[in-house]
This record gives sequence, C-alpha cells and structure tokens, in this order.
Amino acid sequence: MTASVTFSGLNHWFGQFQALSGIDLQIEAGEYVTLLGPSGCGKTTLLSILGGFLEPTEGRVLIGGQDLTRVAPVKRPTTTVFQDYALFPHMSLRDNVGFGLRMSGMGRKARHARAEQMLDLVGLKDAALKRPHALSGGQRQRVALARALAVNPDVLLLDEPLGALDLKLRRSMQDELKSIQQQIGTTFVHVTHDQEEAMAIADRIVVMSRGRIEDHGTPDRVYRHPATLFTADFMGENNHIEGVKSGAGVETPFGLLPAQNAPASAAAAICLRPEDIRADDQGSFPMGQATVTAAAFFGTYCRAHLSPACAPDLNLTAYLAPDRAWAQGDVLSLSADVENFRLFEPETP
Amino acid sequence: MMRFLPWAYLIAAFVFIYLPVGVLVLFSFQEGTLPVPPFNGPSLQWYQTILGDEDLMAALRNSILVAFGSSAVAVTLGFLAAYGLARHVLPGSTLIRGLLIAPLTVSYLIVGLGLLIVLTRSGFGVSLWTAAIGHVVINLPLAFAIIYASMGAQQQNAERAARDLGASEPKVIMLVTVPMLLPSIAAAFFLSVTLSWDEFIISFLLTRFDVTLPVEIWSLLRSGLSPQLNAIGSFVFLISVAVVLLLELTIFRKGRQ
Repeated sequence: MTASVTFSGLNHWFGQFQALSGIDLQIEAGEYVTLLGPSGCGKTTLLSILGGFLEPTEGRVLIGGQDLTRVAPVKRPTTTVFQDYALFPHMSLRDNVGFGLRMSGMGRKARHARAEQMLDLVGLKDAALKRPHALSGGQRQRVALARALAVNPDVLLLDEPLGALDLKLRRSMQDELKSIQQQIGTTFVHVTHDQEEAMAIADRIVVMSRGRIEDHGTPDRVYRHPATLFTADFMGENNHIEGVKSGAGVETPFGLLPAQNAPASAAAAICLRPEDIRADDQGSFPMGQATVTAAAFFGTYCRAHLSPACAPDLNLTAYLAPDRAWAQGDVLSLSADVENFRLFEPETP
Repeated sequence: MMRFLPWAYLIAAFVFIYLPVGVLVLFSFQEGTLPVPPFNGPSLQWYQTILGDEDLMAALRNSILVAFGSSAVAVTLGFLAAYGLARHVLPGSTLIRGLLIAPLTVSYLIVGLGLLIVLTRSGFGVSLWTAAIGHVVINLPLAFAIIYASMGAQQQNAERAARDLGASEPKVIMLVTVPMLLPSIAAAFFLSVTLSWDEFIISFLLTRFDVTLPVEIWSLLRSGLSPQLNAIGSFVFLISVAVVLLLELTIFRKGRQ
C-alpha cells in the first residue's frame, strides 16, 4: 500500500525556538524521499510530525489526501524505523515483527506466517526464533524494517536508520532499502545527515537548514544545480570564489566570468566543484597557472590544494586525474567550463 | 606471610558473619531445655514442638501473607508512580519524587507510631491488615526508587515503537514496559518481601490478635531462652536459603544470559 504526503504551511516552535518555518512539500505515492540536513535543521522534527509523535504549532499534514494533523500515531497509516532499532528485547524476532499484527487483532497462525514472510524479505527467515541481542547491528536494523513493514503501512518513516552501522554495511543496506522499496512500492521518507546516503537511495532529496526547505529535487539536480548556497555547500565539496557584478558577467580574480543568471546583489558567491577544475587550458574559462600546496591520493582521484598565481591567497581544491603523482610545488595551468560555475547571493549570517 | 594475611582476614570475616548462625542451627538440635553448651544431641524434638504449635504456624502463615501481599501492592504502586514520573512532564515532579522517597529516612518506629495514632483515632483499630498497610508505607519508597532508576531511554524508545505499531497504553505497559523492567521489578519485589518478613516494630505496634512471626518470636522470648527459638530461626533460615537458591536457578540465571 502506498499514499502521497502533503505538508502545507507547517510552523513549529519548541518554546522560543522555531524548529520549522513555512514548510510546504508534496511527496508522491511510491516515492523514496530523503530529508537531508545538518543536525538541528528540523528534519527529525518534520518526520516526528509526519509520524504523529509531535503536533505542529501551525499547518496541516495530509496523508493520502486525508488531513491527519491531529491524529495519534496509532491511527495513522505510517510506521517508523528508529535509529536505535527500538526492538523488543524480550521477544523473538517473529514476535517482534508480528507485534503490529497482534495489536490489530490478527490470529496467531496468520501473524506468524506474515512475520516469517517479512523476515524472509529481509533475509532473516532462519533466525525467526532468535532474540534481538543475538543479532549484529545490521541484522537488527533489518528486523526493525520488517517489523515496520509487516503492518502494510502507506508511508514508511526512517529516522537515520543506518547511522549506527559501519560504512561497508551502510552501503549494502542502502542498496537493500532501495530494492525493497521498489519491490513493495510504499512511500519511504528517510531522514539522514549523510549526503552520499541521500544521493545513493533517494528519488528526491529535500535539503533542509534552520527549519526551512532549502532545495528539493532529484539527486543530480540538487548536486549539479543547487538552488541555494547552503545546498551547494552541503551536497559536497566546493570552491568559493568571490566576485563583483560587472556588466554582462561577474568580475573574478581570474577575469570576467560571463553569466546570464547573476544574482541581484552587487557581490556574488561563486561555487565551483573540485571535479570541475581541469588541469589543462582546454576549458572555456582559463584560470591561469597554479602551484600545488598539498596533494593526497584517493584512489579514483588525487585531491590537491592549489594556490593560483593570480590570487595566491585563494585556496582551491581540485580532484585531479590520479595517473600522475602530484606533489607540493608542482605548477600546472588550470581552466574550467563556464557552465560549471554556480552563482549565488552571498550568505548573510 | 603477606599471602597468608588476606586469607586469614577473609576467614575471620566469614566466621564473624556465620558463627552465630551456625551456633543457632546447631543448638536447635539440642536434647534438653537450654540452648547452651554442652551440646547433647542431635534431636529433632524442638522441630516437632514448633511444627505442632498452632500459634506459631498461624504466625508463619500471617508473615508470608503480609510479606507477599504488601510487597505486591508496594511494587505495583511504585511501578505506576515511576512510570508516570519518568514518562510524563508533571508540574512539581521533583517535589513529588522527593515526597515519594522521603519516608525512607523516617525511622520505622515513627512510621509505626504515626499509623497507630491515625488508625486508632479513626476507628479502624489494628489487625493484620494494618500491619500490611504499614509495610506498604515503608516499602513503597524503596520499590519506587529501584524501578525509577532503571527506567531509561531504551524502554522509552521501545514503548514509542509499540505505540507506533498500534498498541494502546495498557498494552504498551503490559507487553513492553513491564517485561523489559522485569529484573528491577523482581528485585524490588523480593527486597520488599525480605524487609517485610523481618520487620518487627511496625508489626508489633499494628497487630493485636493475629501477629506476624517476628512478633510471635518476641513474645516467646519473654519466657526465656529455649532451643525452640533456635528451631524456629533455623526453620525460617532454611526457607530463606531455599527461596534464594530457587530464584538464583530460575529468574536471575535467565537475566544473566
């Protein structure tokens, strides 16, 4: 089962602190959405409001077109996978997974069959009679997922579900979550602070900061064409170059950057991804000579800090091709393509 | 020499603790009327006497009834108070917590006297029931403190998950909170049972015709030392040891795994 979610005009205060301001968001049925942002940005608050654990100060929550703003978690077609799993330690995995069905009054036999089917979905069929403490972290997370899915929710909420797992396990769980979601078609709303995780699994990323939605869109759209400076910085490494508006473009230390979409302000914050800096002069925007001040080998690329000749104080980061060993003091010429620069209004603190 | 000293200390400490119990048990098998050396025996005559003593057996039954009954009430009330205070934000919750724990610092004599005055003035009179009420009064703070201390974020998250999956409040408590807190609830219960079982002052003040075992023993003592008392002590000791062993082999073993 699956349903759409609509937040409209949500505001939420914790005492004097405004945790959410002006949230309007539409999530389609069957979509995999991640709420991404640093801690304290309001993403978990938004998830709690969707799950019914918090009542918003203002605004409405619609699930499948029905207004459920003031409906308790019990009566919502949502279930949650908690960060710390929150399994019941005194019950077998089968009883854990069957708990929601037991609450809805399903008979023992049908319940056990359904629980075993769900455990099979997450690859734990043989462990049905074990207790949670006999499992590893990744396995516990799978049980939590099976338990939340067993009651056939319209919307599954995941609260940093992979936060406690090591990197390798996290990667494989990401793939698994994505494939389970595609199999069952339920709407997934997944909270994370890890932008790589968000890009790995989401159909759509919602970037949040200080209680607001900064940007939302497909992973490549949000990464390549971020709507705000915050999004540009949060979605990965970035070089910041200051510029001043001048006629048909923006004046930078490297010369005039032609730009049609320069911001309204006089000053401009220019962003350039490290992988968009070219170690040759073939790009449409030449950046002159630069000296390597530090370099580290990362396997698929070499991450180098560069000091350009025209602006020695500007520390650029570039991902250079790893086929040659870059070392401190190497001199190279730089360029980039005009379309890879992103221009924003400078952030006012 | 230095290796010998710690062992000597350990043995001395255990002798100090267990010698009185050993002597008590030994002279319960005394043949004759005085529980003092020389030891003439062994004989089971005193055990025969106490098992045949109606008053004593009634007191034993009363003690068991009061201990288990008052502990069940104290633990239930203590659990509910701890759950309420740990899970809900109440105005003045610090004060409520303080008031719940404060009776621990009041001596049993004062608690007993207070209850005696209130109960006789209000026309209730004293009985086995009032002794049990007294034991609830002294054990409730303890049960509350033990259970409250063991309530943490882990149960809270599990409770949240249970609610999310459609459990009503009573079901959350019965199926999640109580089973998860069972070790501390059991500890509070058995500690209450032990304290109630031993308790003399309140039972003495708040009972009249039906008395508990410590009160009965005290009234026997007034007629002087007798191996009969040793036999009662040994018998009670045997029951306690059996209960402890049983618990160790069942409930607490499970918790360790």
